[in-house]
Amino acid sequence: MVDAARQPLVDVRAFTEVEKVEGFVGNFKVTLREKAKYILADRCNGCGDCAKVCPIEVPNYFEMNLAPRKAAYVPMSQSVPLIYSIDMDACIHCYKCVDACGPLEAIDFSQEDKFVEEDIGAIVVATGFGHFDPSVMEEYGYGRFPNVITSMEMERLNNSAGPTAGNLIRPSDHKNPKRMAFINCVGSRDKRYNPSCSNFCCMYSIKNAVLVKQMNPDVDISIYYIDIRTPSKGYEEFYDRAREMGIHFIQGRPSMITEDEETHNLFIHSEDVLLGKVIEKEYDMVMLNQAAIPQPDQNHMSSVLNVAQSPGGWFMEYHPKLRPMDSPTDGIFFAGACQGPKDIPSSVAQGSAAASRASRILQSEKWEIEPTVAVVWPERCSATTRGRACGICAKACPYGAIKITSPEFPAEVITAKCHGCGACVAECPEDAITQLHYTDAQLLAQMRALLADKPEEKILAFRCHWCSYGGADLAGTSHFEYSANERGMRVMCSARMDTDFIYEAFRLGAGAVLYSGCHPQDCHYITGQLIGAKRADRLAKIFSKMEMTEGRFRVEWISAAEGDKYARVLNEMQNVLDNIPKQDLIDEIERLKPDMLKRLKNFPGVPGVAEAMDYTETLMGAIQVQKEPA
Amino acid sequence: MNHTESANSFAEEVKTIPGGEFVELCYSCGTCVSKCMIQEKIDPEYNPRRLLRMVMMEMRDESYESPTTWLCSSCDLCYQACPQKIHISGVITAVKKIAVEHGSKTQLKTAVVDQQTCVACGLCVEACPYEAITLVRKKVPYRGELQVAQVDPGLCMACGLCSAVCRSTSIRIPDTFEDAELMEDLWNWLQPQESASNGY
Repeated sequence: MVDAARQPLVDVRAFTEVEKVEGFVGNFKVTLREKAKYILADRCNGCGDCAKVCPIEVPNYFEMNLAPRKAAYVPMSQSVPLIYSIDMDACIHCYKCVDACGPLEAIDFSQEDKFVEEDIGAIVVATGFGHFDPSVMEEYGYGRFPNVITSMEMERLNNSAGPTAGNLIRPSDHKNPKRMAFINCVGSRDKRYNPSCSNFCCMYSIKNAVLVKQMNPDVDISIYYIDIRTPSKGYEEFYDRAREMGIHFIQGRPSMITEDEETHNLFIHSEDVLLGKVIEKEYDMVMLNQAAIPQPDQNHMSSVLNVAQSPGGWFMEYHPKLRPMDSPTDGIFFAGACQGPKDIPSSVAQGSAAASRASRILQSEKWEIEPTVAVVWPERCSATTRGRACGICAKACPYGAIKITSPEFPAEVITAKCHGCGACVAECPEDAITQLHYTDAQLLAQMRALLADKPEEKILAFRCHWCSYGGADLAGTSHFEYSANERGMRVMCSARMDTDFIYEAFRLGAGAVLYSGCHPQDCHYITGQLIGAKRADRLAKIFSKMEMTEGRFRVEWISAAEGDKYARVLNEMQNVLDNIPKQDLIDEIERLKPDMLKRLKNFPGVPGVAEAMDYTETLMGAIQVQKEPA
Repeated sequence: MNHTESANSFAEEVKTIPGGEFVELCYSCGTCVSKCMIQEKIDPEYNPRRLLRMVMMEMRDESYESPTTWLCSSCDLCYQACPQKIHISGVITAVKKIAVEHGSKTQLKTAVVDQQTCVACGLCVEACPYEAITLVRKKVPYRGELQVAQVDPGLCMACGLCSAVCRSTSIRIPDTFEDAELMEDLWNWLQPQESASNGY
């Protein structure tokens, strides 16, 4: 940290919050709130005289509230930059610090929060993780029993720079504990709190046990675990070493901790799963290895940075295997546990990868993006036709890439910010936006070709590029059998699946239509799936009002790993079609055609669509002619 | 132990019964076992975790004989503690149901009805938390055909609630918690106690 701060090209802004992030890759405008320290950074030399004279003591958060600090403070002596600040919530304005500071005159009680705007090329997010509060798990008694501590408290108690100078004592009577237990998976792997595994706690509790054992070899240590997970290099060997040192590993998740009211000793009730017997053992001190959870303000940061969150609340990466350090927004990268709990080597590796990704942007004059961006036809936008931009596209865009400066001017796409989901294209009521390489005309031509022959037997499946297309692919490579009547159409996101396409498919006489995309938490376009899902719901309602046979229009969210689901859904849809007598199906298609046509009244006016219709008409004619002699 | 691969495996069968659905989520952490009062007070061999494991490992006969199948009172202390949110008593009830269908008999002394005095008032039917009692019409010696209460031994958990609510003392749990025994306990309990030394 000190090294980093000494680097001339590194600018450390401590005590500063990110307020707002605008712009796009290479051209971010970031508003920072430099919080008032009430001590001038350029004058403070870190001597600490102000803290010495300060009469106020408050719990020190950095020491897990196990030690006090003054109202004029630095959180720890190795702070970088070493500049004191005054905690105004605690300060009583005695001004003793002003006198102590003397000729330096570094203390300024009139300071206020300062907003600064910076031009930023790329952003690396490394906000880390938060800690699960075990006091909600009443069975472990954290907060009620003084000698039940968390792993973070343990970390301070066992640290030579900590409040006890490394002398491990238990809180109730300040004696050195002789029997200690560490409990793993407190709040993690627990569906009541956090279903996921926190990744590093097994190693972490073994590390703490080894440290304690090294300092005091006569301490008896037990680690209660569900499974011990030591998957990285050298970890299993470390686990072996801990067992050789005489640390006991007990497989069994404790169900309860009780306390002796007089001695404050603790009793852990658990099953020793390997023995198949319930055991109750007495300890002097118990450490709870609490779960790693997202930072408390992770949701806020997610909206400031406009990056999505995975289930559980962590920031969502662009691709879990191939691009774990990239965010879905170009120019924003993740390092460390803000993207998911991870240990130090993985965090360092991800951080280095993020830094190199970021420097690629800083080094380049031009930045390549996917070519499937949205383009506005300004003459069709309601700003031109009716004098007022409706703004639906801007609202739909998950990236804020559509700019409407004033209602009189047509919407504009900021190409560098556009990721090509097509939400705006499908949402635009005027059909005034198109997506390059996925234009309405192109998709229509595909659709007509697919439904050219015996459309009533076909199942037209709209699949999103990232998930359900991959799911269909997996169903194929895994040789899962599914209906041969399926005809797949790829679009980038379920948000692009225009209502017009679905109406047109049914107008052309499609037997059934599948509307499929990612699960909401997997969407590669932040909120694209939500837009698609909303539209699908609306369509389903319309079709049920039209009294279309249930199951002819189906909405399913299928991930790239769910090949079996894709096959099953398709087979179920085939079943639906098989159960409708053929004549009934044809009658229904004919009955609904005028309805569909009515809803498609704007569609032929979309640039290119009329031509595509003409062209495909000829094409279909040709297909029919070719078929007849056979 | 036999490893049957058929679709009608034991685990599949348990999963089809409401309550037994999530048996396979169990990762054997043992929380349920150390939480269980029956394990603590009645039978140290009682082990819900092991029963769930037996279901997963297709150990049909062993689980029919296991005391865990028969002694669970569905207090659901384990359900609240289970980190996988498995309704363990639901799984046990499902196993019990299958065991009864296969002709296994409960290891408990279940409630018996004295048909000579039962008046079919239905109080016990309402009181039973396990829905083990029904009113049936049948021929009773000396009384002719009439309605009496009948206990399903596969569902009865021998809690004795029926015996407590019965106004004609026609239903009882044989040999355990008989009225006379309970009255004596109650009498002893009502005598002046020495001050509780253990704080309770």
